Amino acid sequence: MPSFRSPLAALAILPILALTACGGGTPPAQTETAGAPVKGGSLVFGVNTEPLNLDPHASPQDVTGLFTRPALDSLVALDDQGGIHPWLASSWEISPDGRTYTFKLRQDVKFTDGGVFDAEAVKTNLDHIVDPKTKSQLAAAAFGPYESTEVIDAQTVAVKFSKPYSPFLAALATAYFGIQSPKSLAEGPEALAKKVVGTGPFIIDAFVPHQGITYHRNPDYNWPPAGAKHTGPAYLERLEFKILTEDAVRLGALTSGQIDAIASVPPVNVKQVEADPRLAIVRKQAPGGNYNYYPNTASGVFADQKVRQAFRDGIDFATIVGKLYFGTFDPAYSPISPATHGYDAATETQWRHDPTGAARLLDEAGWTGKDAEGYRTKDGKRLTVRWPFLKSFAREQRGTLAEQVQAEAKKLGFDVVFTDVTPTDFAPKAIAGDYDLIDFSWQRADGDALRALFAISNIPSASFFGQNLARYKNTEVDGWLSDALATTDLADRAALYAKVQQQVNTDVAVFPVYVFNYLLGVSKNVRDIAWEPQAYPTFYDAWVSKA
Amino acid sequence: MTKRILTRLGTSVLVLWGAVTVSFTALHLTPGNVVDVLIGSSIVTPEVRAQIIADYGLDRPLPVQYATYLGRVLRGDLGQSYQLHESVATAIGTQLGPSLQLAGATLLVTVVVSTTLALLTARRRRWIRGLSSGLELVGVSIPTFWAAILLLTVFSFQLGWFPAVGADGWSGLVLPVIATSIPITTMLTQLMRESLELTLEEPFVLTARSRGMSDLGVRLRHALRHALVPAVTLLGWVVGLLVGSMVAVEQIFSRQGIGQLTLAAVTGKDLPVVMGVVLVTAVLYVVVNIVIDLLYLVIDPRLRSAA
Repeated sequence: MPSFRSPLAALAILPILALTACGGGTPPAQTETAGAPVKGGSLVFGVNTEPLNLDPHASPQDVTGLFTRPALDSLVALDDQGGIHPWLASSWEISPDGRTYTFKLRQDVKFTDGGVFDAEAVKTNLDHIVDPKTKSQLAAAAFGPYESTEVIDAQTVAVKFSKPYSPFLAALATAYFGIQSPKSLAEGPEALAKKVVGTGPFIIDAFVPHQGITYHRNPDYNWPPAGAKHTGPAYLERLEFKILTEDAVRLGALTSGQIDAIASVPPVNVKQVEADPRLAIVRKQAPGGNYNYYPNTASGVFADQKVRQAFRDGIDFATIVGKLYFGTFDPAYSPISPATHGYDAATETQWRHDPTGAARLLDEAGWTGKDAEGYRTKDGKRLTVRWPFLKSFAREQRGTLAEQVQAEAKKLGFDVVFTDVTPTDFAPKAIAGDYDLIDFSWQRADGDALRALFAISNIPSASFFGQNLARYKNTEVDGWLSDALATTDLADRAALYAKVQQQVNTDVAVFPVYVFNYLLGVSKNVRDIAWEPQAYPTFYDAWVSKA
Repeated sequence: MTKRILTRLGTSVLVLWGAVTVSFTALHLTPGNVVDVLIGSSIVTPEVRAQIIADYGLDRPLPVQYATYLGRVLRGDLGQSYQLHESVATAIGTQLGPSLQLAGATLLVTVVVSTTLALLTARRRRWIRGLSSGLELVGVSIPTFWAAILLLTVFSFQLGWFPAVGADGWSGLVLPVIATSIPITTMLTQLMRESLELTLEEPFVLTARSRGMSDLGVRLRHALRHALVPAVTLLGWVVGLLVGSMVAVEQIFSRQGIGQLTLAAVTGKDLPVVMGVVLVTAVLYVVVNIVIDLLYLVIDPRLRSAA
């Protein structure tokens, strides 16, 4: 069970992740391939959010991964199918008990500050993640039952766990486990918050909050991950991310040709960008937990499974999502997205919109009365759903979405009441279970996201702020989730995760809403932008054609 | 004169003391443990926590805490932002430059444009005045946020005259300055034209004209001086308005500045920074008010003797 360093740490993750979530799945719809890659030139990328802290070992924001990936490499690389490939580690072995991972490291790798990449550096990095002083909010949580790292020789390192932990390699492949120069790590959190140094294809020049970050090419780079399109240094001479939080400005900067690519094209403008002959949209589905609503299955109106099912089946989520986002986001049917390894496509036909059935279920549950305003009642009590909604953090028009759901729910006889909360008072409510419905997304490039969302041990409590906000308790599901931790066989894990998805849908412990799509707008001059499985773009192979 | 200066200094000190006291009270009235409020949503080690308790004297009685806090502020120590990983003084220091640049340029543009417009349009033909006051009404009414996006769309995205974002130097300053100055320039022009028109009806203007002075000379040498006093009063108030519009402008043009810092601090509940900004704004107001008082003396000789 990965536990957070401190309950407070975990507490901070939830709202931030919920708002900076990101995305993996469809192959990049690259523009027509034309000629050999051009060396040199620069690329400017407009992004919609920025990290508060640049150290990915410490930061809870997933945007930190986007900002540091150009400068940091990982020990291994993850592909879209959940396969693990060599990167800074040339090979590895897992002990039969699943508790020790022994890595053989590449010998030709150098940090951009001149330091040597060796087993000692790896140990320094892994220990830095779990060091309480780092106050890691994301990486340490993904490290699970990590025990220690042992340097065997300069090129061999063994990572030990107290229990088998199969999601480890997938976590290790993320930028949150990016290998930093020990010299730079020694400068302390204040310095790391503004600059990180690694072995990556690019070197950070400067990070200016609210403005952006600039990189230049690492001329010595020759250790790309398996799966990269070329070897040697990156094609781009310079790379720059500009922080453009305003949707209209970001879009205008792209359409007027002032910058080469933007993150998060507003769904309403997707058609406009696609119609532009100079521009293209690249979609990438985010892996992990979809944007879902989670009913409180432990107390209140949704403790009754019939009421939960009536809410899920009675509201036409697919139509609401399709209309609101102009078809740019797909409706969800499982708690996790199709881009997650272990996704079960059978969930797509497991339940469907059925308002008549919903009404029948509510009758069966005893909510047969009607009050003056048309809401259903039982023993004189109204069918009220209390929903603490973090308005200030709502992105992608989630507020509008929630209001449309509220209107649909009213037709069924539900009185959905929003309690506008701030992050500060959200946490105590979540811990106490003082809510009927809660909404969030939970990105992670592994089916293990299900464990965060539904394991009994992840029900939030005063001592541990987990993500099981449905307060779902099913020992059978718990068993499957821990079986999945103990096996590294991808097919076995997928089968176990499929069972979990089926079961939570049967028990209606989740109302799946939509699958987040990373919508990248690019100029057609930009070629070969690749994707991290976490669904953010990478620029090692990218180049800009002069045409 | 000395008495006047002393009173002025005394009230200034009172204002600053009030600001410190208000931010101290706000800190203690915010629900939750004071240490947690100061840390905000960041995570800190127990050692840092203990350090904060010691620094703020949180384990001691309230009056002692208040005295400690006052002492720290007097020494220029505004505390530490645990979210930004730097001291509040550094955070504000690095953001103050770009903000002052924007505010200074905006004030300059405002004063020059308003004065010129007011001088040219006061007591002119009906259609000139009508056109000018119509434009002013539009200028006052449009939100800075919207004006900024409109300016970007036309002059950057369509015409390509100015870079949309993050340019260094003057070309990057033009659109932000125009966006921030639109509402205050129009407001100031209206005010100045009105007082110019009143002055131009005074008998001494007639006297000046009868001495054969040119129209421009009358306006510049006699009438303008009268119009400047209320204009300066308004400008003092406008400085406060500027901080507000900078929040929007800095965000849209991706500029660094106090506006962005404040916005992030308020939404992130980074109370040390919010308290720091409150203090800096109070200092700014005090300085602006002193400057205005001095300007009154420069503009109106009658006030000098009164002083």
